Amino acid sequence: MSNDNPDRLAATALPPGQSPEDAGSQALADALKSSFAIIRWVMYVLLAVFLFSGFFTVKPQEKAVVLRFGKLVGQGDKALLGPGPHWAFPAPIDEVKRIPIAEAQSVNSTIGWYATSPAEEASGNEAPPMPSLNPIRDGYVITGDENIIHVRGTVLYRINEPGLHYVFDFVNSSNLVQNAFDNALLFAAAGFKVDDILTRDFAGFRDRVRARLEQLANQYHLGITIDQINLRAIPPRQLAKAFASVLEADVRRSKVLNEARSYENTTLSHAAAEAAARKNAGETERNALVTSLRAEADNFTALLAQYEANPQLFMQQRQIEVLQRVVTNSQYRFLMPRGHGGQREVRLQLNPELQAPTPTELPVEDKH
Amino acid sequence: MKRNTLILIVGALLLAMFVLLLFVFQVRTTEVAVVTTFGRATRPITEPGAYFKWPWPIQKVQKFDKRIHNFESKFEQVLTPDGYNLLIMVYAGWTISQPDVFFPRFNGSIRQAEENLEGIIRNAYAGVVGQHPLSHFISTDEKELKFTVVEQEILDRIQRDAKASGYGIEIKFLGIKKLGLPESVTQLVFERMQSERELQETKIKAEGQNAADVIRSGANLESAKILAKADAEATRIRGQGELEAAKAWQVFQKNPELASFLLQINALEQFLKERTTLILDQTTPPLQLLTPAVPKNQR
Repeated sequence: MSNDNPDRLAATALPPGQSPEDAGSQALADALKSSFAIIRWVMYVLLAVFLFSGFFTVKPQEKAVVLRFGKLVGQGDKALLGPGPHWAFPAPIDEVKRIPIAEAQSVNSTIGWYATSPAEEASGNEAPPMPSLNPIRDGYVITGDENIIHVRGTVLYRINEPGLHYVFDFVNSSNLVQNAFDNALLFAAAGFKVDDILTRDFAGFRDRVRARLEQLANQYHLGITIDQINLRAIPPRQLAKAFASVLEADVRRSKVLNEARSYENTTLSHAAAEAAARKNAGETERNALVTSLRAEADNFTALLAQYEANPQLFMQQRQIEVLQRVVTNSQYRFLMPRGHGGQREVRLQLNPELQAPTPTELPVEDKH
Repeated sequence: MKRNTLILIVGALLLAMFVLLLFVFQVRTTEVAVVTTFGRATRPITEPGAYFKWPWPIQKVQKFDKRIHNFESKFEQVLTPDGYNLLIMVYAGWTISQPDVFFPRFNGSIRQAEENLEGIIRNAYAGVVGQHPLSHFISTDEKELKFTVVEQEILDRIQRDAKASGYGIEIKFLGIKKLGLPESVTQLVFERMQSERELQETKIKAEGQNAADVIRSGANLESAKILAKADAEATRIRGQGELEAAKAWQVFQKNPELASFLLQINALEQFLKERTTLILDQTTPPLQLLTPAVPKNQR
């Protein structure tokens, strides 16, 4: 190693002419020798530090690129250094630039919101609305049907690989994303009706905002992916009551309609049940009529032969049979002797309350 | 001798580094630069890398941020041709395209450049907005809404003006950031919105009631129809039954006398079925046996 030279020089300088006047130069040589040793070690250390300063670590959620003399090393995706330790030439030669690729970024848009602060909002101590909106203080958007509403939102996005455009092309990339987001809100609101944004088609409004934002991001070559857009839209506070009562009327309308529909359902199902019952009744009647008549007809045919043999006897026989059955089944029977050709009077006391006529009363009626 | 060579080597290295620092400069990928010779811009550099120059005080290097600068205009009022006062704010992205023109023009100051840009942009949108009615900015009709057309027209005009004024800058894109109405107009809009809301409320109420009434009366009508149809069907079924019965009647024609007798006797038995009280004449057929000759036990 050439760095050993100073030592050897100092050592070999002494021996040849060792005279007393050389004592001073001897001391000088010693001093020189030790200081050269120190300088040598300092140089080693400096060299080590210099080379070591070229090491850097890329964290898991980021990538890095190296600029050599200001120029990007590598092209496109190849320029990207993944997570882990890396080495580059130290300061004046190389420069390391980190790109937060996987990290979720977010920007807010408040151009459409009235003047308020998060603290005021959290505590519910917002200043009461003025009768008009000051264009400098209060933000709002104008809808397609010339209504004023408030809209604000947050967009969450990530930088796409390689992310070189996002990092190297803009002085303030997130600011541009925010401007594009503002523009997307304005643009979407300008084509929508107030009721669509607030109630009927909020999802459609959000899709329009997203489509516009994506289109602008592509147009500007931002190289980002939009993960999520959160939006909030409210009617102006000055008209909160009027908007609420329309909503209420809407709710009431659906209630009235639902009631009418349930009335319709019950009425129709009742009618169907009733109709079936009526048809069945008709059917039953028909069956009863037909079957009973048929039975009688059969009976008739069976009896006809007997009857024709001796009508008188047949009829008498029947009469007595029936009388027998009837008398057996009856609760009370009274036999009245026929008087000597005269008429008899029978008095009946009819009272549904009385289950049985008192036996004492009846004999009295049987007077001759 | 050896010590001298070492010193020479170290010295040469140091000298080389010093000379490099004096004669060479870097332009980063995010920068553009202009080399000035005795204060005059002589050489623009738009590509990154290491470059040679004469040392100070002969040549100097001015570096600028090449990236796209974000410019936002003031919120200003313009008049549309249909008489609306519209407040408008735009944002624009601009870059330094010719550093050798940019540097002497604005003395290298971004702020000064933006002040000039503001003027250009204001002229542009005053001119463009003056040709578009309000319905081109806000409309529910897709064909009428010309939001992007307006933006493009403003951008075209700014690009033309910026080129013509020789600022050494280029406008990359432009968009509307904010639209508004004068404060006094917002109050009028609120009044209109209020009356629109009230109108809508009464409309919704009436609509709901009407629709409900239609549903109810429709249900009543339908149920009446169903019942009438069922009645007709039941009547038809009964008629059919009677028709069938009529056929059975023919059997009785063989002996009407017997038929009539059977009917009567059945009917008699039916209505004397239960819990009846009978008062019978002694001459009724089997009972007459009780009266004449042999008086048995009376019941």
